[in-house]
Amino acid sequence: MAPMAPAPESPQGQVPETHPYGEQLPPKGRVGFAMLVSLLVVLLVTVVVLSLATGAVRVSPGAIFSALFGGHPLTATQQVILLQIRLPRILASAVVGAALAISGLMFQGLFRNPMADPYVIGSSGGAVLGACIGIFFFSQLSLFGFSATALLAFAGSVATMAVVYSLARSNGRTNVITLLLAGFAVSTMLGYSSYFFEAFDSGSGSNHLILLSWLHGVIGIPRWTQLSVSGVLLLFAALVAIPLMRRLNTLALGDEYAHQLGLRVEYTRIGIILTGSLLTAIAVSLGGLISFAGLIVPHVARLILGPDHVRLLPVTALSGAIFLVVADTLARSVFAPTEIPVGILMAFLGGPFFLYLLRKTKRSYVL
Amino acid sequence: MTPLLSFRDVSFGYDDLDVIRSASFDLETGTCTALIGPNGAGKTTILKLAAGTLHSSSGSVLLNNELLHTLALRRVARTVALVPQQLDVPFQFTVREVVEQGRTPYLGFLRGPVREDRIAVDRALELADVSGLQRRIFNELSGGERQRVKIALGLAQQPKLLLLDEPTQNLDIGRQVELIDLLHFLRAEGITIFASIHDLQLVEGNFSSVLLLSPEMPLMNGTPEEILKPSLLEKAFNCPPRRHPMLLERIHRQEKRVG
Repeated sequence: MAPMAPAPESPQGQVPETHPYGEQLPPKGRVGFAMLVSLLVVLLVTVVVLSLATGAVRVSPGAIFSALFGGHPLTATQQVILLQIRLPRILASAVVGAALAISGLMFQGLFRNPMADPYVIGSSGGAVLGACIGIFFFSQLSLFGFSATALLAFAGSVATMAVVYSLARSNGRTNVITLLLAGFAVSTMLGYSSYFFEAFDSGSGSNHLILLSWLHGVIGIPRWTQLSVSGVLLLFAALVAIPLMRRLNTLALGDEYAHQLGLRVEYTRIGIILTGSLLTAIAVSLGGLISFAGLIVPHVARLILGPDHVRLLPVTALSGAIFLVVADTLARSVFAPTEIPVGILMAFLGGPFFLYLLRKTKRSYVL
Repeated sequence: MTPLLSFRDVSFGYDDLDVIRSASFDLETGTCTALIGPNGAGKTTILKLAAGTLHSSSGSVLLNNELLHTLALRRVARTVALVPQQLDVPFQFTVREVVEQGRTPYLGFLRGPVREDRIAVDRALELADVSGLQRRIFNELSGGERQRVKIALGLAQQPKLLLLDEPTQNLDIGRQVELIDLLHFLRAEGITIFASIHDLQLVEGNFSSVLLLSPEMPLMNGTPEEILKPSLLEKAFNCPPRRHPMLLERIHRQEKRVG
């Protein structure tokens, strides 16, 4: 057989895309948008079903699918386990993951820095402190159907963001180092301030347990009402986020340039902080302090899809949901019957990734 | 005919430091004006005042005979574009994604870019001759390419007045000539040009008028022949004329004419 001539095509054997201008190939690693979104939807459904099937009582994914599509119904015990124990928790972790990922995306865009996330910049710490005050002092109070705990979590998140943001800004620019340091200081302060509530807690200790599970980042089994309120709020925040995404692209050019392009920078910034804080509060009220999810997901999505926030929004939301469903399933099944808080698992997964990012971004992002 | 842009006794200071003192000048439609002056004289400040990014502490800036600071931001952004000296873009935005931001003043509260905006972006890329770069990452471009992309970003605003802050800075002579050609081309397209220029050699023959800004003297406005006199430049830049090749050459030329 004659030796093969070296192929003129690219290694995949495909003829490279040619355009009149020559350099028209998409930058390496960027993937088609519609395909990615549909892939992620399929992946999310698959992950949810697999997670449903995982646990002490095994129900095969096939049985779940057949029950879903009107085939063989599940037994009563299986139904209770799936619908009242596993499903609420899985959906809660999906909501938490999506909320954290979107707020991470928004804060990274706002600060023009890939290392911002609700945990790093203290937003979730503020939410936890607000929620603690709610739990310990106003546990019976509610306003417009929202518990005081949830409202205070939101207020705490907004207030912290406002403080950190104003500390990090000078002359219309956000100093990255000041931002990270201010965020670190504020979130540490807030983290430890929660222990005061513990110390002065005279109650039976149930508050103490709630507090502890929040600080460790445990996604509990929420009531369906709580879950649906959170789901609706997530949907609302995601809808509000859509018009903000385009403005985040403009803000990437810097505040002064955005202003010169006719953007009302202050209003946009307030809108982003409020929406990001609402998302953080949603996540905190379901799962407490979960680090790094809001950092990793938008960052990886950006590597795959490029930095256009409009396209990143659905992709980060879906990937965040998938990511946390997987993480929470691991957290409850790897050391079964012992559960580890997903927040702690995330710290172990996310910590090394954050360090890797620090190392890598030294070169890629010069601000 | 009313001037496109005019400064009337405009003063501006940062904190206690006066930068611009009572500056007055007009820019007529279709002109190509160079803004020259020593470092720190306030050239960037003048451009930012003209773009509405800064507000004068006294006096008035008029755009088409209307007070600039009373106009809606978006309306100003559709008339005036400022190409800054430096543009820092975090994240790996492509050239096209960067230039698309120039359409911001045309987008509605909820309405995103439509066909018309895409055409405007295509046109801006074409005018600045960077169509071939549109899928490249902005941060990975060379200085000359970046400069042209920044101009494309300004052109996407479809401005009547294009302000440029030191467009030839950090460019090699070949890229400088390309940039000056681009400015000629844009002027022919009907865009009024107002650029701060550090390299005085590029001013003559390329600009229809010159503004000389110096802390040593009041703002002067004239043709390149009127402004680029060694005696004037010596005073404005506080530079011994025989120590600089360009001034020396002009002195020789003058002496030849007289002799």
